Amino acid sequence: MPKSERKARSTSRRQFLKATGAGVGALAGLPGAAKAFDLEAYFQAHFRELSQDELQDVLRRLERKYSQKYGRPVTVDAIGPIDGVLFGYGLDISRCIGCRRCVYACVAENNQSRDPQIHWIRVLEFDHRDVIRRIDFEDGDPFYDREEVPAEGKVYLPVACQQCENPECVKACPTTATWMEPDGIVVIDYNWCIGCRYCMAACPYGARHFNWTEPEIPADELNPNTHYLGNVPRQDGVVEKCSFCIQRTRNGRYPACVEACPVGARKFGNLLDPDSEIRYLMEHKRTFVLKAELDTKPKFFYFYG
Amino acid sequence: MDPRRPELKSAVPGGRRPLWPLPVIAFLAVALLGADSWWRPSNSDEGYPSRTLQPEVEPEPVLLPPPPIDDEYFPCSDCHEDQLADPERRELDEHDGIELAHGDLWCLDCHQSDQRDLLHLSDASPVQMEESWRLCTRCHAKKIPDWRAGVHGKRTGYWRGPKEYRTCVVCHDPHSPLFKPLEPMPPPVSAGELRVSNRAKEEEVRHAEE
Repeated sequence: MPKSERKARSTSRRQFLKATGAGVGALAGLPGAAKAFDLEAYFQAHFRELSQDELQDVLRRLERKYSQKYGRPVTVDAIGPIDGVLFGYGLDISRCIGCRRCVYACVAENNQSRDPQIHWIRVLEFDHRDVIRRIDFEDGDPFYDREEVPAEGKVYLPVACQQCENPECVKACPTTATWMEPDGIVVIDYNWCIGCRYCMAACPYGARHFNWTEPEIPADELNPNTHYLGNVPRQDGVVEKCSFCIQRTRNGRYPACVEACPVGARKFGNLLDPDSEIRYLMEHKRTFVLKAELDTKPKFFYFYG
Repeated sequence: MDPRRPELKSAVPGGRRPLWPLPVIAFLAVALLGADSWWRPSNSDEGYPSRTLQPEVEPEPVLLPPPPIDDEYFPCSDCHEDQLADPERRELDEHDGIELAHGDLWCLDCHQSDQRDLLHLSDASPVQMEESWRLCTRCHAKKIPDWRAGVHGKRTGYWRGPKEYRTCVVCHDPHSPLFKPLEPMPPPVSAGELRVSNRAKEEEVRHAEE
């Protein structure tokens, strides 16, 4: 069946369901108006099946919704990948001092919930004797609370989404709500996420986080420049994770954590560009990936500078 | 000649195979293998055009200025204008705000003894304070390729576009170049604490709904 015809039929079916849903909703009188049920969001197609017009409708609807909710103009973008770009990340493990500046820069940039707290980056503190032979997450302590870092005899390992080239989370998702983009970023369509958390169980890095309740962000702390697949405010019951700051990096900028790092340990660039920082460090430094034996092929490389 | 034909022939010994299916098969083969776009869904998503950026023009790197030097000490000539330099290595009471922890170096290894506001290389040629990296790289030359590549030191701005570089003294105090310890930001809330606060929040919502 030609694509246009297929689309037309599915659109009309959607419209039919919408109308039916609206009718049923009207009959039931929709109790609990406090938690308004968004029919349009409910019947929204998968992100990759939206036509250009439908996508614009979705983005404008979200902009209206969040501008109203936070009382300030919010833009929701869906800027696409750039041809010939595959993002890669480098982290100089010999320089990280475990100050957690990146964690909070990420929270501010990517609109993570403040209460209940969600952090996309987790900094693990290891005793240096524990990491001589191998890195075992069990030995790492993310809750270290000190006057000053780096502490004597400790090493630090920040862990966020490793943007695997062979992502287990994508295979686990039953609704195809998460997938890898052509530029290598594993993204989530929050509208299609049903909150089953299979991806969280599948991820070997603990990189995915669940919104157990409605996320709370103070209106004055909201980052109003958002991307549909990245830092757009999330709703109750969906999974979220690092998106390599898709709203920044697809516009050529460095991720927020790179700019926040006081020791310059974080590097970012295009793996397909032989002159990029990431290629330089892969060619000149000793690099490793976490849990290489799992064959997830992370695009997040740790190195010794 | 179709190489499979003799085989087909031998499969039906005696009888003659009708030739009429051949053009039909040929047409189907062309339709299915050659012009396949009409039945295979196209890969490019209509609502999601990919972008090609213009070939990048190597942008001018932006060198960030070093932090201003404490005016309690600079310009050095304010005090040292008429003084003759004493080349002997010793404790300096006047400079107790400066912690000197840079290898085995002492003031006059880097500072000019006759023109106090300047630095000097090992061959005594003067170096402006603003170009102190020229002096640093005399010992730390191995860092230059890494720094140029953006792997040593912090970079901000654009991975594709103008990048902001920092020279040595922006991050390293030349008198004690090792990084100073920092106070870390607060640790994350543990999963146990989160569960408690989530449950409290859910109760709140339930009460509000009732």
